[in-house]
Amino acid sequence: LALEEASRMQDPTAKITSVKAAHKFFSEDKDRAFEAKMMDEHSRLLAFQQQLEKETDDKISFFGQSVNETITTCLLNGMSKRADKLKSDFKVPDKRFWYIKLHALTKTRDFEGLDAF
Amino acid sequence: TTDHDFKEHLDVSLLKDIARNSLVQALNSVNGAKTLVLDPSLAGPLSLVAEISLLQQHGVDKMFWLEAGPLTAVTTNVVYLCRPQIRMVKVIADQIKRHARESKTHTYTLLLVPRTSTLISRVLEEEGVLGDITISTYNLQFIPIADDVISLEHENAFKEIWVDGNEASVYDSAQALHTLQKLYGRFPRIVGKGDAAGRLATLLTRQTTQSSAGSDNAQALSEKFDSLIVIDRRTDMITPLLTQLTYEGLIDEVIGIRNSHVEVPASLLAAPSNPSAPPSDPSTSTPPASSLLKEKKKKQHLSSSSDPIFGELRDLNFASVGKRLNKVARRLDEDYKARHKAQSVAQLRDFVGKLGSLQTEHQSLRLHTGLSEIIVPYTRSSVFNKSLEIQQNLLSSYDVPGQISAIEDLLAQGADMQLVIRLLCLASITAGGIRAKTLENIKREFLQTYGYDLLPLLLSLAAPPLAILLPNPLPPSTAPEVAAFKYPYPTLRKSLRLVIDGTETLDELENDISYVYSGYAPISIRLVQCVAQKGGVLSNPASGKTRSASDDAAGRGKSQASVKVQAHPIVGWKGFEDVVGSISGKTVDIAQNGLGSADTVSASATSHPPQQGQATTTVVFFLGGCTYTEIAALRWAGRQNQGRKFLVATTGVVSGASIIESIAGVGRGAAASKGP
Repeated sequence: LALEEASRMQDPTAKITSVKAAHKFFSEDKDRAFEAKMMDEHSRLLAFQQQLEKETDDKISFFGQSVNETITTCLLNGMSKRADKLKSDFKVPDKRFWYIKLHALTKTRDFEGLDAF
Repeated sequence: TTDHDFKEHLDVSLLKDIARNSLVQALNSVNGAKTLVLDPSLAGPLSLVAEISLLQQHGVDKMFWLEAGPLTAVTTNVVYLCRPQIRMVKVIADQIKRHARESKTHTYTLLLVPRTSTLISRVLEEEGVLGDITISTYNLQFIPIADDVISLEHENAFKEIWVDGNEASVYDSAQALHTLQKLYGRFPRIVGKGDAAGRLATLLTRQTTQSSAGSDNAQALSEKFDSLIVIDRRTDMITPLLTQLTYEGLIDEVIGIRNSHVEVPASLLAAPSNPSAPPSDPSTSTPPASSLLKEKKKKQHLSSSSDPIFGELRDLNFASVGKRLNKVARRLDEDYKARHKAQSVAQLRDFVGKLGSLQTEHQSLRLHTGLSEIIVPYTRSSVFNKSLEIQQNLLSSYDVPGQISAIEDLLAQGADMQLVIRLLCLASITAGGIRAKTLENIKREFLQTYGYDLLPLLLSLAAPPLAILLPNPLPPSTAPEVAAFKYPYPTLRKSLRLVIDGTETLDELENDISYVYSGYAPISIRLVQCVAQKGGVLSNPASGKTRSASDDAAGRGKSQASVKVQAHPIVGWKGFEDVVGSISGKTVDIAQNGLGSADTVSASATSHPPQQGQATTTVVFFLGGCTYTEIAALRWAGRQNQGRKFLVATTGVVSGASIIESIAGVGRGAAASKGP
């Protein structure tokens, strides 16, 4: 499977390519619509992460993280706008998003933020 | 009757000797000093069989892990010891070619565990090194991990059979069981459930027939065994998905037990009061593998033979462990106090003589108190209790949609990946699938939370032959075999009396095997009871009122005045054909006669009944692994009857976590295999 290959890939561009290949495989089979959608999301996430890394001048590494982890990293680094964008892009439900935010705020000991919550 | 019970156990240490001797033989087949290169996944099993010193006695000079990269060996002989995996062999080929380039000359021997395969030599041929290496085998089979448990210690068997479709471990199991037959005689009857179990039974009978035809030692029927019961893990996926609640099971859930060794903080093992612990004491000396693995945490071998307190605790429901520990502590305290009462010199000497064993006990008490302290906060956590609640509700099919949204909550909170997926699978099995839309949503959430890399895991869980995470109704395009796998849980719950509800306290529950899961009886063990303890399935054999009734119902088992019911002879699935038939997968029932041909049983053929006072052993083989809790339940079941002991044989000890992780490919194994 191209998928397993993708998970091992370290190089960003190669990884996106193989995830896209996996996407193609899944879209050929109409019973695999869900998997295809997921792979599409995956490649979008990877692209977004690349962009984030560029924005932060490669100081913070995002690549290969899950959606949750990416949001957490954004929040931890004071990029809450980006976190909100991720939330809407990936349709993260409120409940989960608040949990992530809660954990992140506790981690940074941002008690004012917690209060405003 | 403790010592009486003890005698009834089959002596399985013989198997360890065999494993040891064949290792020595394999090593001795290479003359002179040698460098041993070891597959990390074999280190654990090997440490159960032999010590480092034994290896050294037989010429092992240095040991390395088998891993990618160059190998520097001083000795001419290089011995590789590994499982026949292509990945491993490629590494070996790479090392050999590297040596050739550096024009170093070594003699290579490859010992494959447990046997060689043509695939391996093909790979070596393709790599162009087949001529440089001698291929041989080290036939490692059952290793005793307790008096009544023997294991192949093959952790990936489950994944290989039901995810990869690799049947090698079925074959290896048949080989190992055949060895058992060679030692103790032929199983008079083989009963089993599940497709893979069916293939195993076929392989085993074929092997038996061949071996008796080929050689003159046609084996007689075993005097010691009355039957072999093969339970295919696929027939009971529910049990491993649940959280284990016995002491040993919880240690496995929380800390993880690998090859009977648990990693605990070193401080727990150190004895500050007694820094010069006698090195001869086998229970405290850490096994050789730990010196190889340079880890901060120390490994402790858990075994009831060297640690009586553990033997007492291992199968207890965790709720009663605290009480028991307290009792042991009090007794120890009393024993220590006895010193003050010592008056004469003789009494004093007597006490000093006992001191050694007291200290050992003291030490193990410390260990178990420490372990409990690690476990208790975990069992008090909200996630743990929530998941238990979900499990119990799902098992009684109570408010399934509510449970699913509770799982979603856990997911949102970022609970452990394996916990969430276990609950999801459980919901899917017990409820016959999850509503398609809900399932899709959760799967999406799941991937977003834990990473898209886990999509293969979801796919393997949904694909046949596993198919334990399914939408309901099934999409029309699904393969028919998937539909056939549907698990008749609600019916089974009634017919096998899986969930004991009501107001019984834990103490009363202790009378049924459901005690181990605080109210749920493992299906796998109920199936075993269907064959070997029919009364126990229908009602609680230990509750006096119903005992005679259940005996009548089952039509076997002579009611006795004594507490224990005499074990009835093995008559296959009789009485439970319908129930067993409702579970997908092949049902096996074969009688083996002494002459070597195997026929499907006719109704009249029953094994000879166990004579009064004479004990037989029923071997229960779990293909694909069993949990510590199931072992505990079988031990319990074994205590209910007179005249029959269970010997648990398995491909390995598993837990829900280890199954999920092995499928996901992120096992604890991967983390532990980093060596020097």
